[in-house]
Amino acid sequence: MSAPQEPGCGCKAKPPENIGRRDFLTRATVALGAVIAAALSATGLGYFISPAFQRRDEDWVDLGRAGEFKAGSPALVEFTQRRRDAWVTSERRSSAWVVTADGKNFTAFDPRCTHLGCPYRWDAGSSRFVCPCHTAVFGPDGKVISGPPPRPLDQYATKIAGNRLMILPKAEKKA
Amino acid sequence: MKDCALAAYSWVCERTGLDQVWTALMERHIPEAKGWVGLLYTLGSATMMIFTVQAVTGFLLATNYVPSPDHAYDSVRYIDAAVLFGRVVRGLHHWGASFMVVFAVLHMLRVYFMGSYKYPREATWLAGVGLLLLVLGFSFTGYLLPWDQKAYWATVVGTTIAGQTPVVGAWIANILRGTDGMGAPTLSRFYALHVLALPALTAGLIGVHLFLVVWHGISEPPKRSPGKVP
Repeated sequence: MSAPQEPGCGCKAKPPENIGRRDFLTRATVALGAVIAAALSATGLGYFISPAFQRRDEDWVDLGRAGEFKAGSPALVEFTQRRRDAWVTSERRSSAWVVTADGKNFTAFDPRCTHLGCPYRWDAGSSRFVCPCHTAVFGPDGKVISGPPPRPLDQYATKIAGNRLMILPKAEKKA
Repeated sequence: MKDCALAAYSWVCERTGLDQVWTALMERHIPEAKGWVGLLYTLGSATMMIFTVQAVTGFLLATNYVPSPDHAYDSVRYIDAAVLFGRVVRGLHHWGASFMVVFAVLHMLRVYFMGSYKYPREATWLAGVGLLLLVLGFSFTGYLLPWDQKAYWATVVGTTIAGQTPVVGAWIANILRGTDGMGAPTLSRFYALHVLALPALTAGLIGVHLFLVVWHGISEPPKRSPGKVP
């Protein structure tokens, strides 16, 4: 289907036969302008959409020397987490239960019960974590022994850097 | 595909007169000017091109900037250090700001020395003078926004100069600063002027200026008169 050509509407594109000076300069101007526009647009677009590809900093927290944690007796460690949110840096006081069976492999638990978020404690007599709110009981591995919690204790990622124990205090849910 | 594009173009043309607008704006007659003199006629377009760049980079900077004393400096550093092309975008805005003034003034000098401001183009000239003042307003308000030492003290000096006005000086200084001395209200006030009030006024006045340019046509370069030089 061909387009209707209305009189007075200069929509007809002239076929290029001889490129005169005027045409050449027009095209050169358009081409140069397109290059400049493309360079500027690419910069601006990259700036604007960069959050889609940005890598977030991981905020690992130093909990102290790994050797100071005694095997078999979990310790509640308080720490201050510095979080960087673009140009805002905030600090948050928090804590984690650190458990080690052999002084080499460490597990860090979120200090809130997975039932309703109460702070639980370590009962040295029975070697279990007990929650005072609704009598939840967890083993030293975080598994639910009895009570209402829907899942084991939430864990934080741990790593040893040098001889320091580092944790990433962002709860990983254990299904 | 080509038929389709052509059909779409005709549709728009018939309903908006786009082709005639294009002819009136882009294919209008302009005086013949050769060589360097011809180049002088591009200064106005150059200024507007820079304004466009300033508007786009300004928007992009505003996506990562906070006009508050506790975060302004950090957010600017964040743009420089952490955002992709952040330094380029801020650099464009920074240098564009300087060259906006340079090109506006050069354009004005061209118009002045060629006598292009004379009848019937006085209104175009007045609109242009208004635009130059707006550009200087952008410079003054934008200079404070990085909230570094240079920005802070330049604005202290600038607003103190305004405060030297006889009788009403103290009021003017306080209106500019939004508070006694400099503070958080000064920064947000300058930011509001810089990104809301001034761009709107400038866009409007550019419209007036350009309409008058097209309406009157562009003046001829001055010619040597055939008469004797006294």
